[in-house]
Amino acid sequence: MLPALRRCRPGSVPLPALAAALGPGPFPGLCPAWCPRALPARGRKTRHDPPAKSKAARVKLPPPVDPEELLVVLERYRQHRLVLSALRAEFRAEVLQKKQEERLAAEEEEELEEHRRLMAWNEEENGRQRARREERLRKQEEEERRKKLEIAEKQARKMEAFLEEKEKEVLQLQEEAKNFITLENLEARIEECLDNPRNYNFAIDKDGRIVKRTVLT
Amino acid sequence: AFSAGSRLLRGRGGHVVIRFALGGCTNRPFFRIVAANSRRPRDGRYLEQLGCLDPLPNAFGEKVAGLNLERLRYWLGCGAQLSRPAEKLLGLAGFLPLHPMTVTAAERLRRRRQREQQPEAAPADGSARPGTGT
Repeated sequence: MLPALRRCRPGSVPLPALAAALGPGPFPGLCPAWCPRALPARGRKTRHDPPAKSKAARVKLPPPVDPEELLVVLERYRQHRLVLSALRAEFRAEVLQKKQEERLAAEEEEELEEHRRLMAWNEEENGRQRARREERLRKQEEEERRKKLEIAEKQARKMEAFLEEKEKEVLQLQEEAKNFITLENLEARIEECLDNPRNYNFAIDKDGRIVKRTVLT
Repeated sequence: AFSAGSRLLRGRGGHVVIRFALGGCTNRPFFRIVAANSRRPRDGRYLEQLGCLDPLPNAFGEKVAGLNLERLRYWLGCGAQLSRPAEKLLGLAGFLPLHPMTVTAAERLRRRRQREQQPEAAPADGSARPGTGT
């Protein structure tokens, strides 16, 4: 505010050296707010005209940069951009929410009742399907359990039968083992066999009559 | 006129920009804060006017600007970019955070003023003391 006022006052110009160069101008004694010739501007020449020979030795340097200030400025820019992006995200969310609300309001005006009715029917259907599915699942589970039990029982029975058979065989063997011929019985049994000769011979005729009396006895 | 305008918008590229459109007369600028496609001319067709700025101070020494914050929020939410002077103006208005270069420029100005005051004070002291000494 105040610099603008100061610039409007006559006489005080930021570059007094140029005041004389500018000349009186439209308002003698009053200099304009900004000096247009302080910055480079194309006047006489176009951009395709070559530069003058007096400017051949001119070395254009970039503006000097203070590294501390640069770091400070970069940090400020980073924070500024962070805040800006957050603000933008917030505004975007606002706009989307408004659009959704508008859409919902528009839809409500048109097809409110039908939408609700259809949604309710859909819910009922879902409920029925759920009930059926649960029934089916329950039955399946029961079936599986029953089958498992059966199998287990069968297995148990099989094992029992097997064990019984094995026991029987063992007992039978034990019993037969009493009649076995061992090294100790050998002589006695031989004596016994020799003492009691058995005659296995027999005769049979075509009618099936067996005759056990033979020549040897 | 319709086809000539849409030639700009054919093909890919171009984005919404919130910038200053210059109007007014000779030696009397006046800016309109405007949301426009970036490929339009500066004073050409715009999507919506979001405010105005009078760069010349008024009778009370104030530079007056008007902003439509509601629509600004809408356009920023739609993904509009800002030009640098628009950012600075919104920073000074308080809608956005202050632009870094505003703060930096203020600091530089303050430092320059201090430097100008110190040489004035030092030569003044230097010239005063020999005057009093002799």
